[in-house]
Amino acid sequence: MHPDVHDIGRAGWFSRQAVVSILVFCVVWEALSYLAPTLGIPAFAIPSFTRIGASLAKITMFDVVVTLARVIGALVLSFVLGVVLAMAMYRSPRMESYLHPLVRLFMAVPVVSWILFAVLWFRGVEFRIAFVLIAVCGPVFLVDALDAMRGVSKELRGMMRSFRPTTLQYFTKLMLPAILPGLITSWKINLSLAIRVVTIAELVGAVTGIGHQLAVAQELFSVADVFAWTLVLVALLFLLEAVVARFERRVLRWRP
Amino acid sequence: MSAAGIEISGLRKVFWQATTGQAVVAINRLDLRIAPGEIVAIVGQTGCGKSTLFDLMIGLEHPTEGAIRIDGKTPYGDFNDFRGKIATVFQQDRLLPWRTSYDNVRLPLELMGVAETVQRERSMHWLKRLGLENFTNAYPHELSGGMRQRVAIARAFVLQPEILLADEAFGHLDEVTAAELRGTFLALARECGSTAILITHQLEEAIGVGDRIVVLGKSAALLADIDVAQWPRADHAVLREAIQATLQNNRPDPRLARGRPDGAAAGAPPASA
Repeated sequence: MHPDVHDIGRAGWFSRQAVVSILVFCVVWEALSYLAPTLGIPAFAIPSFTRIGASLAKITMFDVVVTLARVIGALVLSFVLGVVLAMAMYRSPRMESYLHPLVRLFMAVPVVSWILFAVLWFRGVEFRIAFVLIAVCGPVFLVDALDAMRGVSKELRGMMRSFRPTTLQYFTKLMLPAILPGLITSWKINLSLAIRVVTIAELVGAVTGIGHQLAVAQELFSVADVFAWTLVLVALLFLLEAVVARFERRVLRWRP
Repeated sequence: MSAAGIEISGLRKVFWQATTGQAVVAINRLDLRIAPGEIVAIVGQTGCGKSTLFDLMIGLEHPTEGAIRIDGKTPYGDFNDFRGKIATVFQQDRLLPWRTSYDNVRLPLELMGVAETVQRERSMHWLKRLGLENFTNAYPHELSGGMRQRVAIARAFVLQPEILLADEAFGHLDEVTAAELRGTFLALARECGSTAILITHQLEEAIGVGDRIVVLGKSAALLADIDVAQWPRADHAVLREAIQATLQNNRPDPRLARGRPDGAAAGAPPASA
């Protein structure tokens, strides 16, 4: 890769390049919104920023909080489940040999199938959404945690064992800190995955949340509302990523 | 703390190669006795089974046949009975990169459940002894190789262990740093009264540190068991040559018979042991 390209990629959101590209996009969009009727495109298809702004002003915080709570709740549950199972599989090769094919099978199932299974199997909306999120994100946490555990050097494991720690000490003093960078990367991947999955799940089977509001906007043919809720979703993802990045800087300050 | 003696009898370790299904004999019937408080250097060529012996002594591997007994207990079978009694210094420092020097040194005490005030007091004491008082909050990547190895030595001594094991602990450092750390290690081991075993392939290191030098040949065959006290400093060059010849020929050099009533170079430990 050319060094300049690399530099632009790392420039971040407040770089000149980022601001310019977003501004250009906004100008083109705004121009299209005015020109749409003359181009034979219905006016509602490309709403102006004034209309999008009006839709943003109508955003209900309740739905944002509900979606956020669903994402965080399900991610925490997936994380705990994934890491505990990974630890068990790490400790027991026999358990791993039985569970690994199942995990791979779960990971190959499309999100839409999980949503359909949830709708067909369960009644409660919250349970359905949690089920889908855990089924999708849990295996990612599990596989990443297991890979990270296997990556802990033989030398460090030998050193730790020479001091004869208890099983709990072995995991808390060695394995968990050693796999933390891998777990944080897994959180980053799962955050964006969970936001997408929860939106589809809410779109299909919920009466609250951002996904549900998107479904309402679709029924009303309101592209401005869809745009506004999408902006909220994107902002939510960036906010969560910023929180994880801050946590990462704090706990991984030991890295050169 | 009292030092512990080590008795190795009929020790045999065989590994099975998964790919070929063939047996590899790493150690073939080794007998060795190390008295409490003794400082022993074990020398041998690369691949002679030194590191396997090290792993067996720490209890990370189990013998195929025979036994290692430390004060009557086996490090593998009675694994947990050796908590806080055995400490190790490895070739690489093996520091936990997410812990500061201080936190690395106090790790063994933390694992032993020692009170935090005692952890602090003892860790700071050993960091100071090793000249690291100004680097207590430094992470391993912020330290030089020599300093990291000092932290690793402090981590071993903080337990005031009965048995100290060092596997090629100074081999990767430059000569000046290695000599300095060897001296420090030796002085501290004597001060603590621990039984210390240094595994090395460097003859200078073995001659400079050990009360005894155990020379191992292929499959950890005992080629010579030398009482260093029998060799005045002026004769160290001869001793070095004799050990080198022993290693090269994989049989005891006749010059190593010095000081032994039976005139034998290998077999039973020397009279002083």
